[in-house]
Amino acid sequence: MDLFGLTRWPSDPFGPLDQMRDEVAGLFRRWDRERTAGRGQVYPPVNLYENEDGYVLTAEVPGVPEEDLHVSIEGSRVTLRGERRIEYPDQPETGVHRRERQAGIFRRVVELPLEVDADKTEASYRHGVLLLRLPKAAAHRPRQIAVSRS
Amino acid sequence: MVDETREIQTREKQAVEREATREGVLFRPDVDIVERRDAYVLTADLPGVDEEHVKVRLEDDVLSIDASLAVEPAADWVPLYNEYRLGGFHRQFRLSDRIDASKISARMRNGVLELELPKAEAVRPRRIPIQGA
Repeated sequence: MDLFGLTRWPSDPFGPLDQMRDEVAGLFRRWDRERTAGRGQVYPPVNLYENEDGYVLTAEVPGVPEEDLHVSIEGSRVTLRGERRIEYPDQPETGVHRRERQAGIFRRVVELPLEVDADKTEASYRHGVLLLRLPKAAAHRPRQIAVSRS
Repeated sequence: MVDETREIQTREKQAVEREATREGVLFRPDVDIVERRDAYVLTADLPGVDEEHVKVRLEDDVLSIDASLAVEPAADWVPLYNEYRLGGFHRQFRLSDRIDASKISARMRNGVLELELPKAEAVRPRRIPIQGA
């Protein structure tokens, strides 16, 4: 899917950044609605941030051991997949009083606004939260323009 | 039995109503409670929480779990898109059986709290041997 084909950037190239940010967020919402039409929300829930180096993507996946968590990156597309296992003791004299936590497999594709450098991406998993640091691909990195005196 | 091929769906975190004096949003964690012959085992999803940011208390017969995030987003992260809200967790349970408070054990692993609440000796079921005539 071409995210940018749908984007109408503000006509003023120096227009408010907030407006661009809202547009990006709107695209994500629209895209996710299309993907998940008629279904519940996809798992895991993610938050996306931008900083000087690129993007930071976090996902809440408590109780999934690192070896069951898989991340792949292609261009601007990040795929998260894995499995959350919950084993209940299957013994006599055992009762289940509450069972709210979900078990199962998951696969989630997140489309980033720009391509990222997969080789320089760092992933960590701490306290049940996956954190990806995704530097923008060289072509999309901000460039410092040297100002020379005339 | 757990259906291994089932796909998980995201459910929105449920905020807990608190008195206005408490700062920040608190959510109600998802829990499983399993009863064994000798103990209850309570498991709670607390994503973003480590062992230093969770408090478990038993007061009379009320068990309280309070937790806060171990790591907050860095100051220079500009949010582009938020699907889940950040905050602490709070939940209370009234325990019906007598628990041996001195033997409660707790462990945090991958953002999941596991609590073992051993039953007091007096309330554990006992098997009465029956002899033949």
